[in-house]
This record gives sequence, C-alpha cells and structure tokens, in this order.
Amino acid sequence: MAGALTTESLRWAVVKLKERMGVSAGELNELDAALGDGDLGVNLMRAADRLAEDLPNLPDDIGMALLRCAQAFTRVSASTYGTLLATGLMSAAKAVKGRNEVPWAEVPGLLGGAIQAMSDRGKGQLGDKTVLDALEAARLAVAALDDPAAMASEAARAIAGAIVQFRELPFRQGRARIFGAKGIGRDDPGMVALARIVESLSARPG
Amino acid sequence: MKKILNRPADYVNEMLDGLCAAHPQYYRRTGAEGRVVVSTSAPIGGKVGIVTGGGSGHLPVFTGYLGAGLADACAIGDVFSSPGVDLMTDAIRAADGGAGVLRLYGNYGGDRMNFDMAGEMMEMEGIRTTTVLVADDVSSAGPEERHKRRGVAGLVLCYKMAGAKAAAGASLDEVTALAQKAADSCRSVGVALTPCTVPCAGRPTFSIGEDEMEIGMGIHGEPGVRRGPLRTADEIVAEMLGMLLADMPLGAGDRVAVLVNSLGATPLEELYIAYRYVAAALGGLGVTVISPLVGRYATSMEMAGMSITFAKLDAELEALWKAPCDCPFLKV
Repeated sequence: MAGALTTESLRWAVVKLKERMGVSAGELNELDAALGDGDLGVNLMRAADRLAEDLPNLPDDIGMALLRCAQAFTRVSASTYGTLLATGLMSAAKAVKGRNEVPWAEVPGLLGGAIQAMSDRGKGQLGDKTVLDALEAARLAVAALDDPAAMASEAARAIAGAIVQFRELPFRQGRARIFGAKGIGRDDPGMVALARIVESLSARPG
Repeated sequence: MKKILNRPADYVNEMLDGLCAAHPQYYRRTGAEGRVVVSTSAPIGGKVGIVTGGGSGHLPVFTGYLGAGLADACAIGDVFSSPGVDLMTDAIRAADGGAGVLRLYGNYGGDRMNFDMAGEMMEMEGIRTTTVLVADDVSSAGPEERHKRRGVAGLVLCYKMAGAKAAAGASLDEVTALAQKAADSCRSVGVALTPCTVPCAGRPTFSIGEDEMEIGMGIHGEPGVRRGPLRTADEIVAEMLGMLLADMPLGAGDRVAVLVNSLGATPLEELYIAYRYVAAALGGLGVTVISPLVGRYATSMEMAGMSITFAKLDAELEALWKAPCDCPFLKV
C-alpha cells in the first residue's frame, strides 16, 4: 500500500487516542492504583486533550509535529511514564526532522530507536515487564509491514500477547518492583496503556 | 518540627510569591504556576544564557542566584523534587538571548533526566544548549567515580564564575568550558547535626541522636560516610579538611575560593568558629584564600550542620571569582 506517515496521520491518531482514553482512563487508573499513584489514565487523558487542542497548530514537518506530541506528555505530568513516552517520541522526532512524510516501512526503525532511547533514559531493559516489552513486541510484529492498518492491528495483537506472556512474571523495574512475587498475575499498567493506545489506531481506514 | 507555613501544598508557591515581592528589581516569574523565575535583566541579546533548576528547600540555591554576573533563569520543583521538563524548557527559552544556553545544575538523576530531555526539545526548536553538572560532594563517591558525586554548595561558586564569563561576552563553548573547569575545581564536604522536615511529608528525613553528627550527609539527607559522637568544632573541621585535601591536595602558592556554608539552622557564629580553623589550616599550608564566603548559601531547610567548599583558582578563575555580580544573596 502506498502512502506515508504525515502530520495528517498524527492528527487522525490523536483524535482516536482521545476517544479511546475517554473509555479507558478509568481502567488504567485502577490498574495503576494497585501499584502506585493511580493517575496513569488521567495523565494520558490530559495529554490527549492537550494534543487535541493543539491539532490545528501541528506543523507539517513530521519531526516538529512529533516534538509537539512529546511536549504534550511532559507538560501534563512529570510522571515517569509520560517522560518515557516523550523520550520515545523525541527519538523519532529527531530522526525525521525536516521531512513532511515518512514511508510506513521506516516506522519499525523509528520504534527501535525509541526503545533504545527509552531504555537509556529510564535505565530499563527488555524483559523487565515494562512498556519497553510491549513496544518491542510491536516492533517485531510490524518489522516487515508497510501498510498502516495492518501495522496497527498486528501491533495491537502482539502487545496483547506480550501482556499475557509477562502476566505470570514479576516486575523488575520501577516502583512496581517492590511488589516482588505479589506482582505475579498483575499486568503492567504501562503495557496495558500502550495496548489501549495502539488498539485505538487499529481501526485505521488506511 | 515546628514550621512557619500555611498549607504545606502552598509552601513553594508562597515562598516564590514572597521572594519576588521582596526583590522585584531582581526576579520575575513565568511558566506553569509561575515555577520559572527569571532575572529581570534576562534575556540579554547576544549573551549566553545560564539556566539552572532543581527542587525547593535549598534557598538561596538555586533560584536566588539569578542576576548580573550570575545565572539567568531557574526551574523550580517541589521541595526536594525535580522540576518537570516543561518548566526547564520555559526556563531555557526565557534565558536565551540568541547565543545559546548553558544548563548548569547539580548532579541528581531526576534533574538530569528532565534537563536532558528539555535540552533535546530546545535543540529541535533551534536553541543551542550545553550541560555542565556540578558534582562536588567528595563524600558521595570516590575520586575514580567523580561523575557520580552529588552537587552541593559548589554550585554557588560555579554560578559566580560561569556567570561572570557569560557576562564578559564569551561564546557558549567558552562559557561551557569555563563552567566545567569551575565545576572540576570545586570540592565540598558536609556535616549534619539534625534532619529537616519536608512540609508535605511532615516528618524528619532521617533520625539522628541528640549527641551525634554525620559527616558527609547529603543535602536531602542522603547517607554520609561516618556517623559518630558530636565532636568539637576544631575536630569536626579538621576531619572535613582532611577529606577535602585528600581529594584535592593544596600546597604553598595555591589560591582558593572558600565557602563555609550553613545547611540552614547552624548560626553564623558557629560558621565563623569553623572558618577560623579553616583559615589557620590553609595559612599553615601556604595557601591563599581569595574572597571567602561565610554564611547561608546552600541549605537543606532547617537542617543543622555546615558544609565547606574549596575551589582551586587559576588566574582566569580568580578573575571571574572577583568579577562583579549582583543578586540579593551575593554581591561583588
């Protein structure tokens, strides 16, 4: 399929994200409350709202548009999760700065760069049962794809699989780590949040 | 612990209200909730901007040291917690006079993560930024791991020297190199006698016996290197000097800036008792002290205790140390 990632794609994604957070914020808050502050859903909803307000002002330079997305996350909260997502977005923003479109086939590479940047900044590793594991599952699932609808649905399926795969493992990173064996059987809120975000995109018209 | 406050949640904002009301000729506020303080003279076109930031609870660090010959803008977090990325980006924008911006702050993980991200964002927006971390606390890591040391009162000396370099019209690369040289020249060590209480937490950050002291404790109550019975002033200072000189030997002909600093509750009288010993000891080594500072410059709220900072000066650093500067807490 032809086409490319543009600022218009980001606008579409923000609308979908905002719709989805309206539905899923409560679930994410509850998951997060079992392990921490309980504000994960609220923070993501606030970020989506801020992004939605900013939509008309998003520049055509996809790098600068991604920068705005990163700033929406850092502006609404100082949470580690928001900072990590912003770090991933910044990594992609730097990689594509100056371009108005990016072929979909480049997206897996951008995901790989984001995972590396997030791992460096948060000192987390793959296998720690964090959002990094969900992102890596998504990256592997879309590695050979260039159709955005297929990428979104395959990524969503892979993330759902990763959540199941990690459910019976302990948390090894961040504040949830202190739960030790009690973390077994619990899903990582950050992984679930990414699942909801990607699910919102899998209804993509193409 | 008794404190003079209203609602604990208002502690930082009300402190900033008062700071700016008292010194409107020096400070103005911007950013979310007014949590960015900017020197009234900033930005100065063509001058390298210097931004700093960190958690509250250390006045006059960090916010106090904005002004001519010092820093330009500061992002302010809650007590002992890092300000967010957006405050740091606002501070960088406010300090930018078109010649780039140096981020000069203490070596703490949360601040680094947020300032690094803020720097990346500003680069995307076309503002060139650099970083110098102040990591002067010799008790927080050995010489082979100097990059892991915490930043404490040495910040004050670095603001002063880097600020003077920027005021002299140096480029971003020159100001950055100078700030790094200043940071590398600083060594500090602290001693704590009592803890402090974070307003929103409502209880002391650690407990320590009535007759005990802890050498090397950090300004947030991070564990030090030795806890023991409280000694006399001369014995305490001798131990601290021993740690400083083991890390940075000084000898005849060396010239140093010295800061004997109260962590909050320790009075000037006791600081001067300590300085008296420092001056005699350095004099005995043939070391010349240049424009010493004795007072409350970098605090941990009401913690009792003090820190001693040395900066070994070459001719360039000495000239910058003596150069004019002006803020409510430091005037040369």
